[in-house]
Amino acid sequence: MEHSMGGDKAARFFRWVTEYPKALVGMGILLMLSAAAFIPGLVKDTSSDSFIAKDNPARVYRDHVKQVFGLSDPFVIAVVNHGPTGVFNPETLQLVQWLTDRVKKIPNVDPDGVVSLATENNIVGTDDGMQVSQFFEPPPATQAQANAIRTAIADFPLYQGSLVARDSTATLIVAEILDEMKNETTYNAFMALVKEAPQLSGVELHVAGEGAISSYLYNYIDRDAARLNPIVAIVITLVLFIAFRTVRGMLLPNLVVLATVAAAFGTMAASGVNFYVITNGLASILIGMAVAEPIHILTHYYEIGRAHPDLSHREIIVRTMTETWKPLANTILTTVVGFVSLYASGGMPPMQYFGLFAAIGVMTAWLYGMVFIPAALMLVKFKPSPAIRREQTTDRYGRAMVALGTCSIRHPRLILTVTLMIIIIGGMGASRLITDEALIENFQQAEPIYYADKAINQVMDGTNYLDIVVETQTHEGLFNPDSLRRMEALQRFVETLPGVGGTTSVVDYIKQMHRSINENRKDAYSIPDNRDLVAQLFLLYSASGDPTDFEEEIDYDYRRANIRVSINTSTYTNNRIVIEALEPYLATHFNTNDLTAHLSGRVTVNHHWLKTIATTHFVSEGLALVISWLMVAWLLRSFVAGLFTLVPVFASVLAVYGVMGFGGIWLAVGTSMFAAIATGLAIDFGVHTTQRIRELMESGTGTFEERMARFFPSTGRALFFNFAAMSLGFGTLMTSVVPPLIRFGGLVTLAMAVSFLASIMVMPAMAKLFRPRFLGFPTLSKEMGREAYLEPAYVVSTIEEGR
Amino acid sequence: MRHMYIALFLLFPLFVFNAAAETLPAGEEIARRINARDEGEVVSRFVTMAMTDRSGTERVRETKSFRKYFGKEKRTVIFYLSPANIKDTAFLTYDYPEVDRDDDQWLYLPAVRKVRRISASDRGDYFLGTDFTYEDIRKETKVGIEDYSWKTLAEETIDGHRCFLVEEIPVNEKTAKELGYSKVQSWVDAEIWMVRQAKYWDVAGNPLKTLQVREITLIRDIWTAHQISVENHKTGHKTVFTFKDVNYGQSVKDELFTEDGLRRGF
Repeated sequence: MEHSMGGDKAARFFRWVTEYPKALVGMGILLMLSAAAFIPGLVKDTSSDSFIAKDNPARVYRDHVKQVFGLSDPFVIAVVNHGPTGVFNPETLQLVQWLTDRVKKIPNVDPDGVVSLATENNIVGTDDGMQVSQFFEPPPATQAQANAIRTAIADFPLYQGSLVARDSTATLIVAEILDEMKNETTYNAFMALVKEAPQLSGVELHVAGEGAISSYLYNYIDRDAARLNPIVAIVITLVLFIAFRTVRGMLLPNLVVLATVAAAFGTMAASGVNFYVITNGLASILIGMAVAEPIHILTHYYEIGRAHPDLSHREIIVRTMTETWKPLANTILTTVVGFVSLYASGGMPPMQYFGLFAAIGVMTAWLYGMVFIPAALMLVKFKPSPAIRREQTTDRYGRAMVALGTCSIRHPRLILTVTLMIIIIGGMGASRLITDEALIENFQQAEPIYYADKAINQVMDGTNYLDIVVETQTHEGLFNPDSLRRMEALQRFVETLPGVGGTTSVVDYIKQMHRSINENRKDAYSIPDNRDLVAQLFLLYSASGDPTDFEEEIDYDYRRANIRVSINTSTYTNNRIVIEALEPYLATHFNTNDLTAHLSGRVTVNHHWLKTIATTHFVSEGLALVISWLMVAWLLRSFVAGLFTLVPVFASVLAVYGVMGFGGIWLAVGTSMFAAIATGLAIDFGVHTTQRIRELMESGTGTFEERMARFFPSTGRALFFNFAAMSLGFGTLMTSVVPPLIRFGGLVTLAMAVSFLASIMVMPAMAKLFRPRFLGFPTLSKEMGREAYLEPAYVVSTIEEGR
Repeated sequence: MRHMYIALFLLFPLFVFNAAAETLPAGEEIARRINARDEGEVVSRFVTMAMTDRSGTERVRETKSFRKYFGKEKRTVIFYLSPANIKDTAFLTYDYPEVDRDDDQWLYLPAVRKVRRISASDRGDYFLGTDFTYEDIRKETKVGIEDYSWKTLAEETIDGHRCFLVEEIPVNEKTAKELGYSKVQSWVDAEIWMVRQAKYWDVAGNPLKTLQVREITLIRDIWTAHQISVENHKTGHKTVFTFKDVNYGQSVKDELFTEDGLRRGF
């Protein structure tokens, strides 16, 4: 009763829609164009910082530290020479000078923040004094002068590993950047400079560093997405052609796709949300999803048109829509839930926005499916699709579905045993799942930047920086030898941690100065016992150094100092060990009296957002599951029905965890989004299957098998094309050159395949075996009481299977 | 005819400029006048050095300094009075008249009771954590005539005083690199021949720093500045020297300008 009333309301609505087709189509196109008009205003943000909220304490503190010490995520040029003298020969060192001079002139480079052998001072003791002079004054012209510089570096521990490789094969030019948002053009300027530099035989130049990596990554993904999205569109159009072989069958879904993409990116631009690195994946995903709904509508439309040639075109459309709107609304709702849970789980801003705007896109797709498609269909006459024939004469796709389905209904125990095994293997794989991320691993190994990063981190102490800010409450408090000794002990402690290549701080300079006033004796490379001497050493240094020389190591009133830790890897798992070892150390050795120490720098900030990956992932997936379940339970008025509908979701998510666990694929930024997205998509298969089985059980007669015989060629076929369109859409991502996109595309495609198979094989098998009441199977008492209705075929089949 | 008017019109500013230039003294002449100013044989004074970094944090050092000519050789000694941790630290420099002879410099570190010799500074090196270069300090309020080519640009008023604006370009690239400047513009008081303001550009041509000389009074017939400040536009670092109790008449013992003198203090 209620159902038919709802049906009447729906029919009235679709009659209204088909009453004003031109106006509604016009409005639809106008809306699409006006949303699209905002898109050119999108602002791109590729910085690593975009992954962490602006008000996150770790980021706020890092920005503060950046201001005090003038530190950022530098660009690094490595000059590598594997020749017998390493970098210590006149030609290579002159090249260092050449590069340093030009790097200082690159826009967005802080000219006072460029550090290289050509800018740094050597501090040496003489018999009666201390000498501070540049290593290059001017760059060496003879091998003897180059050798002298090698000796000087060998005598200055501070620069070993940080400025010059300990084996002399490389030296760095490190440049601080003024505005991270301009990193992309800065990177291009660095690459152009390296290309333009004099070519020396045996000398390699590499550009790397956190700044370079993030801007390069952006270029890399952007170029890739620009190539991929048209391919996705072409592939999907091909699927549509195979499914319908009509112009409207290809055109209408594509218009819905355009509207969806325009709505998502238009609202993104209008609300001032930036376009992040991962936003590149949004277009592909929207294309794949927006096409699903039109496939179901058009399949039904052509089927009704074929079955009832007597109906008017308008009646065909109204009937199609009246019969499909509800399952479609359900699937859209559950998909939206998947994306909203991604937004609501409060993870990294780019992921949250990904979820939000994907949800907006999906809702737009639904709206266009409900209004634009019926209105647009009204503008043409009905023409049957050569691909969709009467139910009796199904095409090869329909026949394939019948074969699959029949197999599962005949062997439900086998199917469920296989399913159970997949679940167990998936669970085992999930327990081996590793959460990890490293920006550099987003590149293929053949990329120059990947090579550069590995090459530099192999010979140098590391280009991933963790900063430890030590602070006292008193003016000139860091002249206190005790404070300096605690800093020194902290440095020695950090250097024992994995991946840490070395540390630098003002303590190293003080020790070098102390040594220099003691006739350069090696045993005087120590912290002075006398606090006044520390102050006097700085004054002595200032007799030859620049007033701002120690800016990056200690602040002007000697209250705060920075210890810079160089780490040779950016992997989350490694750096978590470092940070988790440091935190208790700082709590016990610092932060107890007036001497405090806090972690900062890129490594710390990245750790803070990366550690949310694992928690966010499971929270958002759990949230998506629970809400989807509740929603389906409400729609079907049964909690058990909700669980039954979630079967494709459980199967696909577990299968993907299994593949990730056994395949060693990290749960990282890109891959962590798969679960929520897969949940939203996989549940569609479940909803379609449950509702259709229920419908077939309620209407019509015959055995379960007989009823299901109608399920496979129609719903099964639509599910197949739904799966084909989406998996080909996501599968196209696998042709990307960006490893995380490849992995993401592969995982979602796998999830789609598993959920499709679950919906067409596992769910019917379960229905047959468990005979759930919510699907319309009679209860045992009813069966006993109404023996006449017992389905003979069913009895036969159970007997055959030895029940 | 019309072309002639245009030509005249175009040339007009040139005439005016030439006419003005004729009345201005030549740049070299101004430089000679500056260096001809008396600065006293001996001077003693308290100097407060206040340095501020870009975030506004200040370091203040009180010193007592003595300068004495030994013929053409100039010796300067600076005793630090505060802050406490560098009290009694002392800096001594011998500035020789010979162009190719490096200065001698020593610093006394009371914490280790040692006098340490400091390598000769380049002229463009910064002086004891201030924004003055060694050359700036050495010349005090004088100028290096032979380092620059001099050109008088205009007559302008600074702090209510009539000044000549003089442009100084280092004579060659080597000198420019040594000094750390590619160009200097000085506003020289037309009455007392003292620089009241100067602007400096670094070797790459970027604005580097601005110097201001204030509170100039006559002491024993010697024009004496009581405040000299300089601001570095690249680093945001600032230095202000304030002079007190400037005394040209005090007798200063020669022994003060020795290593022992550094240890003993004044």
